[in-house]
Parts: sequence; C-alpha cells; structure tokens
Amino acid sequence: MPLLQLRDVSVHYSKTGSFLKRRGAVIPVIDQLSLELRQGEIYGLVGESGCGKSTAARAIIGLNQLNAGQILFQGCDLSQLSRKARKQQMKEIQMIFQDPYSSLNPRKNVWNIIAEPLRNFERLSKADELAKVLELVQRVGLNEESVYQYPHQFSGGQRQRIGIARAMALQPQLVIADEPVSALDVSVQAQVLNFMKEIQEEFGLTMLFISHDLGVVQHICDRIGIMYKGRLVEEGTVEDIFERPKHLYTKRLLVAMPEMDPEKRQEKMKQRLQINKEFDELADTFFDSEGRSADLQQISDTHWARL
Amino acid sequence: MERLNEVEQHKNSGHSSFLSKIVAEVRQDRMACMSAIILITIIAIAYLSPLFLSIERVNRIELSRIYWPPSFTHWLGTDDGGRDVFGQLLLGARNSLTIGICVTLLSSLYGLTIGLIAGYYGGWADQIISRILDFLMILPSLMIIIVFVVLVPNYTVYHFIFIMSIFAWFGKARLIRSRGLAERELDYISASKTLGTPNWKIILFEMLPNLSSLIIVNMTLTLAGNIGLETGLTFLGFGLPSGTPSLGTLIALAKNPDIVQNKWWVWLPAALLILVIMLCINYIGQAVKRAADARQRA
Amino acid sequence: MLTFILKRTLLMIPQLLLLSILIFFLAKQMPGDAVSGAFMGKPNVSAEQMEKIREQHGLNDPWIVQYGRWIRDALHGDFGQSFVHKQPVTQLLAGRIENTIWLSVSTLVVTYSIAIPLGMIAGRWTRSWADQFIVTYNYISFATPVFVFALLMLYVFGFVLNWFPSGGSVDIRIAEETPEYVLDKLKHLVLPVLSGSLLLTYSTVQYLRNEMIDTKMKDFVKTARAKGVPENAVYRNHILRHSILPIAAFLGYEITGLIAGSVFIETIFSYPGLGRLFIDSIMTRDFTVVTALVLISGAAVIVGTMLSDIILRIADPRIRFG
Repeated sequence: MPLLQLRDVSVHYSKTGSFLKRRGAVIPVIDQLSLELRQGEIYGLVGESGCGKSTAARAIIGLNQLNAGQILFQGCDLSQLSRKARKQQMKEIQMIFQDPYSSLNPRKNVWNIIAEPLRNFERLSKADELAKVLELVQRVGLNEESVYQYPHQFSGGQRQRIGIARAMALQPQLVIADEPVSALDVSVQAQVLNFMKEIQEEFGLTMLFISHDLGVVQHICDRIGIMYKGRLVEEGTVEDIFERPKHLYTKRLLVAMPEMDPEKRQEKMKQRLQINKEFDELADTFFDSEGRSADLQQISDTHWARL
Repeated sequence: MERLNEVEQHKNSGHSSFLSKIVAEVRQDRMACMSAIILITIIAIAYLSPLFLSIERVNRIELSRIYWPPSFTHWLGTDDGGRDVFGQLLLGARNSLTIGICVTLLSSLYGLTIGLIAGYYGGWADQIISRILDFLMILPSLMIIIVFVVLVPNYTVYHFIFIMSIFAWFGKARLIRSRGLAERELDYISASKTLGTPNWKIILFEMLPNLSSLIIVNMTLTLAGNIGLETGLTFLGFGLPSGTPSLGTLIALAKNPDIVQNKWWVWLPAALLILVIMLCINYIGQAVKRAADARQRA
Repeated sequence: MLTFILKRTLLMIPQLLLLSILIFFLAKQMPGDAVSGAFMGKPNVSAEQMEKIREQHGLNDPWIVQYGRWIRDALHGDFGQSFVHKQPVTQLLAGRIENTIWLSVSTLVVTYSIAIPLGMIAGRWTRSWADQFIVTYNYISFATPVFVFALLMLYVFGFVLNWFPSGGSVDIRIAEETPEYVLDKLKHLVLPVLSGSLLLTYSTVQYLRNEMIDTKMKDFVKTARAKGVPENAVYRNHILRHSILPIAAFLGYEITGLIAGSVFIETIFSYPGLGRLFIDSIMTRDFTVVTALVLISGAAVIVGTMLSDIILRIADPRIRFG
C-alpha cells in the first residue's frame, strides 16, 4: 500500500466575488492531480513557478482546501476523519518550508521553535524537552548554544536546518519539502541537500520534494513527476525522465538546465532553440484548445506521460 | 537542572529587548528625553500627592474663600468652592491619567480581540468585521458618547470609562487587522498550523508577539488622545461625575467669560498642564515609534 | 470606475439605514416623548388622558411601525417639536445652520491656505530651519486638544490683548446687509476659525511634506528638471498637481473631527451654531433636537466619507477599499 495517495485532487481559487457580482472567475490551480508516494522513497515534483506544485504540497498538509478529489494517507481519507484522529494523522506529516526567513517566528528562540510540535503532542518535563531539543539541534549540525539564540542570529542555511529539526521533532513518516533550498545560496544548497538525504536514509522517511530545479531533483530523488499548468504531464524514475523524456514539456525543461561543460554549451544552445521551436509547433498536439494536456499513457512499468 | 539555569542566563543575551531600544531612542532625542523627565515628574507628584496632601481637605468646600488669587497659603489660589487649586490640580491630574490609562487598556483589549480575529482568519470573518468597522468608524462618536452619558442612570466613573472605551477601539481593530492579514501570509503561521498548534494558541503566542511593537506605539499615541477626550468631555460637563475632579473640571469653570478674563488662576494652570502632558506623551510616542520602525528593519 | 462609484454610493444605503435605526433606539431611550413633552407643566392632564393621546399618536405601535413613521417624517424634514424652544426642530436648525456653515467653510479655507504653503515649504527645503519649525508646529498641533487651544486663544486675543470679540456671531446693534455687518461677522469668526484651523492643518502638512520628499526623487521630476523647467514650475506643475486631489479627499474624512471640534469651539466662543445648540439641547434635555442633530451629523459623515472615497479612487486607482 502506498503511504500517500492523491486521487484526482483539484484546487481552484475563485476570485472573491464582489458585492454586486457574487460569482467571480474560477481559476484552477491543480487540475485532477493523481500521484502515489511509496514508503521510503523521495518523490520529486517539478515544474515552473505557478504550476501548482506548492499548492499541491499545501493541500496535502491541510493548508489549502480541496475542491475535488481525495487524499489518502496510509489508506484512510484525511477529510473523513474526526478532528482528533485527523490531528493524530497530521502528526505523521510534516513540512519544510521554502523561505527560511519567514518560516521561523522571529520572536521565539530556537528552543521554543523546535519544542512547539513537542508541546502539542507530547507531555514532556522541561528537562526532557530540552534534552530532546538538544539532540535534534545536534543532529542537524548546530551547536548546543544555539538553542538560546533567535532566528535572526543564523544564516539562511542554518535557519533551514532549524526548520528541518522542527519538522523531525515528532518523527513523522512523511515530510513535504517545499523548495527547501531555492532561497539559499548555491554554495549552501548542496550542503543542505546532502544533509536532507542523510536524514531521510537514517529515519527511513518518505519525502515529497518540490522544486523547480531539475538538477537538484536529479541529485536527491528516486522518482520524478513533472507538473505543468496544474496537471502531471510525465512521471517516472530519474532515468526515465532524464534518459527517455517523452513529453515535450519535459524535454523543454531538460534543455533549459545550464550546462557546466563550456565545450558543450554551443551544442546545448542549438538543442534549446530546436526544442523551443518544436514546442511552438507541436504544442497543439500535446495540449487541447484550453491549454490542458492529454491523458496519461503508460510507457513502461514506471513511466507515464501525457501524449 | 544545570541546563535550566543556563537558560535563565541566556534569556536576555543576544536579543535586545524592545524596551531597551525605546530607552536608547528616547535618550538620543533631546525633546523626547526632556518629555520623559517632565512626564515622570508629573506622574510622580500626582500619584504621590496623597502622602503630603489630604484629599478630604482639598475637596472641602469653604465658602469664605471663593476665588482667592494665588498667595503663599494657596499657591494657585482657590476655585468656586474655595478649594485649593493646586491640590485640585494634582488630584485632577491623577484622575485624568488613571482614566486615560484605563480607557486605553480596555479599548486595546476590544481592538486586539476583534482585529486579531479578522486578521488571522481573513476571508468571511474579515469581510463581516470590516464592514461593521466601516460603519462604526463613521459614527459621530463625540455626540453619541454625550448622549450615552446623559442617558445612563446612576452614572459613575466606571460607566464613563466603559462608554469611552466602547467608542475608542475601532481604529485600533483596523490597524491590527491589516497588519494581521499581512502576518498570516507568512510561513511561520503556516508552520504552526502544520505542527498541530491550535488556532487560539497561534493567535496569542505566534501572531500577537509579532504585532507587539505596533500595539505599543498605538497605545502610547492613543493614551494622549484619550486623556484629551476625557478632559474635553469633562470640560463640556459630560465627563466625570461631580466629586471626581479631573483636569477638565477646573477648565470647565472657564465657560464663564468672567472667570476666563479675571480669574485665570482657576483654569489656566490646568489647561497648561494638559498641554504639557499631551506634548510629552506624543514626543515619547514618536520616539517609541522610531524604535519600533528600527526593529522592523532589523 | 463607474461601477466603483455606483457600488460606493449603494453602500451608503445600508449605512444610513443602520445609523437611523441606531439613533431611533437611542431616541426611544431618552426620557419623555412627544406627548409628555407637549404637556409638560400642565398638571391637570390625567394619566388616562395621556394614555389616550399616546394611542392617538401611535406611540404604542410596534417599533418597526414607529420607526417607519419617524424616518418618513425625517425624510420630509420633520423632526418634531422642540420642548424648550416651542417650535419645530427644523425651524430651529435652519436658524443655526447658517452660522455653522460660515464657521466650517471658513475654517476649511483657512486650514488649507495655511497648510498647503507650509507643507510645500517643509517638503521643498527639508531639514532647513523653516522645515524644523514647521515640523515642530505640526507636532504641537497634533498633540493639542482643541478646547485647551481655543481657551488659550480666547484668553490671549479676546481678553488680554482684546483684539477680537470674545463671543457671539455678530454685534446685534449693527443693521443687517450693510458692509459693517459682514465685516463684524468676519471679525467674530477670526478666533473660532483660527482655533480650529491651526490644529486641523496637521494631516495636510504631513501628507504634503512626505509627498514632496517622495516625488522629488522620482524620475519624471528629475527629467523635468534636466530639461530646464524652472524649479518653481517643477513644484507647482508636477508635485502640487499630484497631491491636490488626495488632499481634497481628506476633507471628507475630516468631517468627524470638524463636528467634534465645532462642539467645543462653539461652546467656548458662545457661537450660535449647531454644535452649541447640541450642548444646549442636551443640557436642557431637549431630546428631539438632540436626535435630529446626531442624525444629521452622522449622515454628513457618511456622505463625506463616500465623496472622499470616490475622489481618492479617481486620484489614485491603486487604492482599494474593503
């Protein structure tokens, strides 16, 4: 049984109707999204900004309301649960936020930040709580002193580590990482990524990793889903996506990755122009008149695409 | 246990408190510094006056010495009841300050509650509260307060404080609401939700502390406004019940042209004292505001 | 834009309705109704007769019927009888409203003719001695309660220096419709108007100063300057024109303050306007007059706020309400 299942999940924002015009335009953000996360894997959800990947994350964790579809966690529908049971289930799902600056309350020190989930679910004595916080702080590579410091005294990378420690405090089964490194300096990105991979392996976590950067995803994920305009256009293992991309949009994303080798740059540039041309020409065959893509087709055991 | 002690030591280090920032800001500004000294002196004298002044004697009516001009025995002369104006001034300042503070605290309580609810929940709750606030803000509140004061039977100081505070929170609620709406979009609020923290805890322990400097600035500035309104209403005759002197009570005597012209010692000191208190509070308020802005930037 | 104006105007209807209902209930709480008022001081009317008359006047009807009747009369300009003055409230108000209009219009004119130059000077020569003086003045005018300031004005200029009359709206010995009459009327206005307007300048000065400092650095102003447009023209044509509409819009928001201020100022200078009438009526418990005045003031604020919202929206479409 997959740990997390999304079945035809749709979220749309309706423009707030005004006092004369009650019903505003409905803007779909996620359009019938279905995916599965298996125990212990890292699933990368990739797409350009505005494609709905963050909304998907927020929907799973309950920050956005669903307009249609179901989310099943360990086989049970979260929306069907009672408030109390739901809270217990949500304990197993935690989130790492994109912006390490706004995701930590500037008025709280690290101790209070990391202890917040503990206080909600576990009744610990002050000493036990501190011991647990210290353990977490050390695990994410910060020194003991930092427990008494405030977020503004840390760098972006360190703040993100604090965020990770907070998410790990309850030892969840599923962690949703919403572009966890995109706000960091490139030099720190790799550090934090490696560290997240380490933690994932150590705790046997399942992770939904959201990013707009294929390079990052390639580095860390087992399977990848490509999102475009609120729909999943292609899904497969890292090899499937990088070696045998089927969907036009996936190809376009791949050629847009910067090339490190200067000698290959010219070639890459040509490739990019060609794919862009192809995209303009063939867009009609991949998308219908409203810009929606066709249905998913199975290509291999692991590989699906909309063609 | 050792670690717990360490905590106490660390609590204050590395994080300069808002209070210390205010003190630094006030020290830098000569006017604010002077204002603080003057205000503290006034407050100290007014609140310590019962130590060297008997309220009973100050309030005793002595018809044999009505409207005496200033002398050595009565520094600022006597009023329409033969009471010592200086004593009345101290007593009035104390009452005016106390009432101003009470009204400010009460109205902040209402404003915070409503503003935080609208700001945190947004959406429908915010829509409804905002529409109600829009309406309340356009009421001619001075007139309605006066009508209320007249209509309330067995009118006391507590009624007065209550009526005033009911009309003093609309602006505050709006301010808190708009800042709250901005704050709720930040990820630390979302994070708290995903960590299973109940809404009321998020409002009180996550959102509120981040609005604290805004609230303190607003409270200082509205304190001045509330003292002004209280003395003004008392001046018109619809403020404190007789028997509770306020700075406005002394000035109210100046509704008679003869007193304005010929018995300046009755009302002029009170008028000037109000002016000084208002200016001081406002200067300090501006310094507090700068401290808050500086903190916002940091 | 048109839909906004329409929407904003329509919003007034529930506001006015709510205001009138609120005031109606407030009025119901006030001791004495039209009947007991009319028979005040006539002890030979028995309680039974009173009850009969009450029935005739519909005072025992359900509130919604009474409210309907009340609001219909008010819309026709009938606010009932004043107990104290023994004349229709409308007539009483008509006699006073002229003075209040004189007072408020001249207060606004004086306010803007002080505030606009001050704001421009302060914004143009920031940190000069003139700017520092204006900023200090602004601090003080913001902090000073109107009744304290008005009293000090009255004492200094009315009594000590004796430059201006200390009360009233005109010397009754002067014949109407002569140049002296108008002159005397203006002379009586000087102190009340100055007391109000010197304190009302605050927001305009503040706004204009900030706006000037902001705009000075904008590219279009730099361009104008680079093209050789004289400095004065830059300020007049580019900056002032930008700010004039928002300043006009603040007027509507000031109405609440203006009404509150007029209550104090008219009391202190014994100026026979609506504010003074309000205080007198409430002192004598003349509640029909009080009710009418609160209703009129509330309606004035509602209309003023609406106009301001619309003007501001025209001046700057980015500003949104609600």
